[in-house]
Amino acid sequence: MSPRLTTGLGAFVDWRRVAVIAAVALPPFLVLPLLVGEFFVHILAIGAYYIVLAASWNMLAGFTGQFSLAQHGFAAVGAYGSGLLVYHLHTPLWVSIPAAVAMAAAGGLLLGLLVLRMRAIYLSIATWAFAETLRIFLGAAYDFTRGDLGLSVPSLYGHVRPIAYYYTFLGVAVLSLLLIHILLKSPVGYFMRAVRDDPMRAQSLAVDTTRVKLFAFVVSSAMAGLAGALYAHYVLTLTPSIVDFSEMARIIVMVVIGGMGSFVGPIIAAPAIYALNTWLAAWGEWSMVVFAAIVIIVMRAYPAGLSGLLAAAARLWRRRSKPSGTTAAV
Amino acid sequence: MMAGAPILEAQGLTKRYGGLIANNDVRMTLAPGEIRGLIGPNGAGKTTFVNLLTGLETPDAGSVRLDGTDITGLLPHRIAAQGLVRTFQVSRVFANLTVRENLLVPFLAAGSPGGVREGQDRAAELLDLSTLTPLADELAGVLSGGQRMLLQACAGFMIPAVRVYVLDEPFAGINPVVKDTLIALIQGENVGKGRAFLIVSHEMEIVRRLCPLVTVMIQGRVAAEGTLDEVARRPEVIAAYLGRAAA
Repeated sequence: MSPRLTTGLGAFVDWRRVAVIAAVALPPFLVLPLLVGEFFVHILAIGAYYIVLAASWNMLAGFTGQFSLAQHGFAAVGAYGSGLLVYHLHTPLWVSIPAAVAMAAAGGLLLGLLVLRMRAIYLSIATWAFAETLRIFLGAAYDFTRGDLGLSVPSLYGHVRPIAYYYTFLGVAVLSLLLIHILLKSPVGYFMRAVRDDPMRAQSLAVDTTRVKLFAFVVSSAMAGLAGALYAHYVLTLTPSIVDFSEMARIIVMVVIGGMGSFVGPIIAAPAIYALNTWLAAWGEWSMVVFAAIVIIVMRAYPAGLSGLLAAAARLWRRRSKPSGTTAAV
Repeated sequence: MMAGAPILEAQGLTKRYGGLIANNDVRMTLAPGEIRGLIGPNGAGKTTFVNLLTGLETPDAGSVRLDGTDITGLLPHRIAAQGLVRTFQVSRVFANLTVRENLLVPFLAAGSPGGVREGQDRAAELLDLSTLTPLADELAGVLSGGQRMLLQACAGFMIPAVRVYVLDEPFAGINPVVKDTLIALIQGENVGKGRAFLIVSHEMEIVRRLCPLVTVMIQGRVAAEGTLDEVARRPEVIAAYLGRAAA
């Protein structure tokens, strides 16, 4: 009687708009690597990796209200999942990567089940503990994971020229964003936002909140897992530091500055902040302090973030160009 | 009024919180298409009863049947999808969804062969009836208290299977115009679609207008049942409740 979550998938997608935005926004990114140096292409590739992490976490935290602190953990599950399969079983990458995505999805389901009845801060603490446990395990089980010595994994294409990986990460980012957009513009996306705003009310209006939360956990973990697996086969050496909390902090910084619960904000913020991070690397950990301060200021003063600024600017521009604008008097 | 099998049947509902018995052997039957009032002083257990009916809390004893089907202990979303829907005393809306989206959520969640299109049409119809059309694409968070109450009530009507609608204090703290809109909405859905209502309210004037029969709860029990004027004459009701209000 209650329909499947995937019923009416994409029912509210404005495909024309999607096509126009893709046609306008994509070409520059297709051409860009041909115009800049290799190091910059590398930065862009990793920037696209962070877009996937930020957007998938935003779907879970910003749109579904599940403020998990384990997104970097699922990227690590993907990375180590594929890496360990190759290292121990000599699995080909076309098997190990999908297997790693499945592991991340299963992990997301398990963690989602575990924190199902937890609220806000308790959920955050439990998911953080999960990620920390994973990090400690990866370090401690060194005869299996090679720990801090680093796990060597083969590259995706037999070389590590950034441009190939840039296009790979760009493709994965575009497909992830498209999937997230379709989900958000579907009944299940409406349910996610309803669960975020008021889970009890959602339940009383026939929304199966349990399934919606688990669905968000599984999809966002699978995306992080895929990004992580590809990342592994680009950086070639894995250490437990990919589950450092600073990784999660970076994802939070990207989403909060971009605008939590806004689709566009984190997409712009992720690569920009990664680039800034790299540029500020001379200051080491201090750059994170600066970003943390910015996050506090944004959350306190302007929770809508970058996307809120963009929206306000767009409104202003529209009002200027069309003074007879219909500003609803409420 | 009472004709045929009841649409809602609560039997012996009991709920304890530690030493306090919030609901004690509460029974009530609702006929199809009936509008029943549920009154009683604060703390009489009305909201607990609503929570037990709609699955928000599980009874320690007793059962709830909807149109003959036992729904005791089902999860709230299942009960809602089967057609027993409620509102909350404090108006609860999805503040960061638009008014229209607020209406679409329950429709999509309950599912209907008509699909999204049917939902849009139904939402447009309810927006019209509730005079919320001009605000359809605003975030629900900007609505006034009364408008939220209206939106909350309309959201329940979006579930196609609704047969029994429990409204918990829908008229509390809203202005007379909104009250009239809400009353017209209830009457329209009742006459046009044969939906039964259970209305928890302290507003005796409205209860008198809307509800041929009322049930009175006092200290976790059903104390009386009848027309408002009948129950208002019962000494125990006067003592517990109206005595104070009518003084």
